[in-house]
Amino acid sequence: MGKEARMIEFSGVNKWFGPLHVLNDISLTVGKGEVVVVCGPSGSGKSTLIRCVNGLEPFQQGRLVVDGTDLSNRRALRALRMEVGFVFQSFNLYPHKTALENVTLAPIHVRGLNRTEAEARGRALLEKVGLGDKMGNYPHQLSGGQQQRVAIARSLCMQPKVMLFDEPTSALDPEMINEVLDVMVGLAREGMTMMVVTHEMGFARKVADRVIFMDRGAIVETAPPETFFTAPLHARTRDFLGKILHH
Amino acid sequence: MLGGLNTRVMLEYLPEIWQGFLSTLWLSAAGFLGAMALGVLACALAIQPLRWLRAPAVAYVDVIRATPLLAQLYFLYFGLPRLGIVLPEMLIGIIALSLNSGAYMAEIIRSGILSIPRGQVEAGMSTGLGYMQRMRLIVLPQALRATVSPVIGQTIVLVKDSSLLSLISVVELTRAGQRIAIDRFMPVEGLVATALGYLVLYYALKSAAGAWSARNALPGRG
Ligand SMILES: Nc1ncnc2c1ncn2[C@@H]1O[C@H](COP(=O)(O)OP(=O)(O)OP(=O)(O)O)[C@@H](O)[C@H]1O
Ligand SMILES: [Mg+2]
Repeated sequence: MGKEARMIEFSGVNKWFGPLHVLNDISLTVGKGEVVVVCGPSGSGKSTLIRCVNGLEPFQQGRLVVDGTDLSNRRALRALRMEVGFVFQSFNLYPHKTALENVTLAPIHVRGLNRTEAEARGRALLEKVGLGDKMGNYPHQLSGGQQQRVAIARSLCMQPKVMLFDEPTSALDPEMINEVLDVMVGLAREGMTMMVVTHEMGFARKVADRVIFMDRGAIVETAPPETFFTAPLHARTRDFLGKILHH
Repeated sequence: MLGGLNTRVMLEYLPEIWQGFLSTLWLSAAGFLGAMALGVLACALAIQPLRWLRAPAVAYVDVIRATPLLAQLYFLYFGLPRLGIVLPEMLIGIIALSLNSGAYMAEIIRSGILSIPRGQVEAGMSTGLGYMQRMRLIVLPQALRATVSPVIGQTIVLVKDSSLLSLISVVELTRAGQRIAIDRFMPVEGLVATALGYLVLYYALKSAAGAWSARNALPGRG
């Protein structure tokens, strides 16, 4: 992969929480426009891995370059975060702001858009995620699926180059999972670079370029979805797939 | 017993009681402003990352919470002159009230700030908001909302605590009531008059708290 085609590049990244080796020699490159799904058992370090990408977690060893910025440069972090969206499992909307205000806050205060521009952009995005009629609602007046779509719109409103998702559907009731996945599929098809921690294997099959399996802080296996699901190389991957596909 | 209250004497002393009431009102107001300023400052220092700035704020809160207000008041009253600082009693009283309530205000504000889930702060970071922006746009508006009721509660305590200033001969509501006791040997009349004054202040603060929370409840919630 040429240098210009790389969006995220981990080289030999190691991280410890005290004695716990939570990221074990991670090397991984995600190209522009690529969609990478990360799965693995609970506690394997998936969240930690993607939280490193926008500097929410520091690490002790190795190098991580995102959109040309070396993450060891903490001063460049704010500028980088403007280009990297993050969607949390628990939505983390601002409860004292309406859906539209949640979405326009950062564009106004970080990108310096005026209110009219920001609201035009915000409205268009909320329409796009199917919430055209909920712009004035507060988070507690929205269902989980709606809240997560607002959260996605909030990230997109900064017009990021990369979107990171940490189990975006695992706090949702089953009937709401698809409304969120549909938005993500649309985004992937538009060519957004995405790293998605999820156990939604339907999503992985549909849009992932690669699926990564993590266990105990290490990347055990990386493969395109067809291979990953039909012919996994490692016993641990097979074990894991057996568990999540049959319940 | 209350039926036997000598209301004529109480009315006779109404001007003194009224003066005492006004004095308590403005001592409390001044103490409140001082306490809020100190509280915000101590809290800001206590939550920021530099240890050497955190330590004095934490020590201040600990010392105040560990010792009685009366001791703090006497400490200033007798201690400041020994440092060559001579201030009017009233000012010493206001300083004591401010220092005392300031420590409690700091704790109230701090717990309001800590009550904001970390995830919201991370969401702010993830969209590029800086520390001050996250504080101003996300954390403080919610934290202060959560803080108003306990702040009013602490203010009610402050109003009552201001009665201790009578011990360093500041004339306020309690001391005005004592005049009736001393001049006319009618301590009950004096105490009832004093209590009525505090009740008025209490109800004013209580209804302010009620009005505030009715107006500021999030739409559609509570
Ligand atoms: N702040 C922290 N301090 C100490 N240990 C932590 C911290 N955050 C995570 N860990 C530990 O690091 C390991 C990896 O955590 P991480 O959240 O990355 O796992 P995960 O794969 O996302 O798990 P899950 O599927 O449950 O979300 C776990 O053992 C976890 O307990
Ligand atoms: Mg996780």
